[in-house]
Amino acid sequence: MRESITAVVARGDTWSGVAASEPYDVAWAGEAVIFLRSLGAEGNPEQARAWVQISPDGMRWVDEGSMLPIPRVDEISSVRVRNFGTYLRVMTVLPEGSSFKALLTLSLKE
Amino acid sequence: MAAAVNRTFWSDPELSKFNPLSRIIAYDQFSKGFRGYTALVGNYEHTLDNVLPGFKDMNQPMLSNGTHWDTGSHGGHDGTYALKIASRPRPRSVNMALKRFTFRKACPIQIEAYLAFKPEATDLTLSASDAGAFSLVLDLQDNERRIMPHIRYLNAFNGERIEKWQFKRAVEPAMDVGGENSLGETRSHHHFGADGWEDIPGGAQQLCYNEVPTKYNWHYLKMGFDLRSMSFTSLQCNDRIFDVSTLEPMRMPAWPNLNCLFNVCWTVEADSHKRSFLYLDSVLVSGDWEDA
Repeated sequence: MRESITAVVARGDTWSGVAASEPYDVAWAGEAVIFLRSLGAEGNPEQARAWVQISPDGMRWVDEGSMLPIPRVDEISSVRVRNFGTYLRVMTVLPEGSSFKALLTLSLKE
Repeated sequence: MAAAVNRTFWSDPELSKFNPLSRIIAYDQFSKGFRGYTALVGNYEHTLDNVLPGFKDMNQPMLSNGTHWDTGSHGGHDGTYALKIASRPRPRSVNMALKRFTFRKACPIQIEAYLAFKPEATDLTLSASDAGAFSLVLDLQDNERRIMPHIRYLNAFNGERIEKWQFKRAVEPAMDVGGENSLGETRSHHHFGADGWEDIPGGAQQLCYNEVPTKYNWHYLKMGFDLRSMSFTSLQCNDRIFDVSTLEPMRMPAWPNLNCLFNVCWTVEADSHKRSFLYLDSVLVSGDWEDA
């Protein structure tokens, strides 16, 4: 049996300006599908993009190269990633005056 | 006699470091996976916006190999991974992980664990006062009462090292969580927060912090509770055994639809603008009962 988890890393967190999800330990996992929903928004956050970052220590972050759209309210976006090492997170930079309530879900599998 | 008893565990050396009661309910080594430990979502109706504030920082536990910038992967006590519960990087932020059981019979139960507790290594300093607290909470209900034993180790408060064990019996008020459109069917009480804790008599204990934030040493913790009398029976951390005769759990009338509830909850609490981490290598839940 392959270990797996669907981890809700951000549950309605308000993202504005420079925002990032909490670091998540993924050393055991070989693949991830990242889902991003918006549970509410102000301004036009969908004009921005979010992107995946990796880290060797959970503190210093490097762009992994994958992007995912910031969805409109009640819509959802996703991206698949592999070979990500030990820590994963998603970050974004939103336009001034824009924010949204992020539901960020990592579906991880061994 | 002690040696003879221990020999019964030699067929499974990993169990020999525990002292379980007569029946093992769950033996969870997190190198084998998440083992049913999950996140807590605060109760709500209609929208997550109605979750009580103290629950909003909570998210999923992780399987961690304890990787640090200076030493690489630390690993666990028995294997590569431990269950990691991380606070947010702000003072008194609390996160938790729990496993949800029900009990078959009111009987003595016991929780044992090997754990480590550290702050995030964002500074190249001792950082020992950055890790706030960790706790073990049971959530129990029989036909008449909801009972919640709370034990926490308060490492630091407002930047000062406190290093003592505490318990909490003060009941937090239950709130409706439906906002203006409350259906009145769902309530919530945030009882994991920093308020209302009392010192356990003789409960001062310095754990093995070990000089830098990227080293962690595994500690043994045991808590016993009797579901018949709904009272504490034991508390031990490493070489210290504490008197639990004056400890009280939270007590409240039974809530709807919680009969035979038996949740095992672990929390971690930050004291500074650094994340605090609780690592659980393994948790053993045992009980002492005979079926009628």
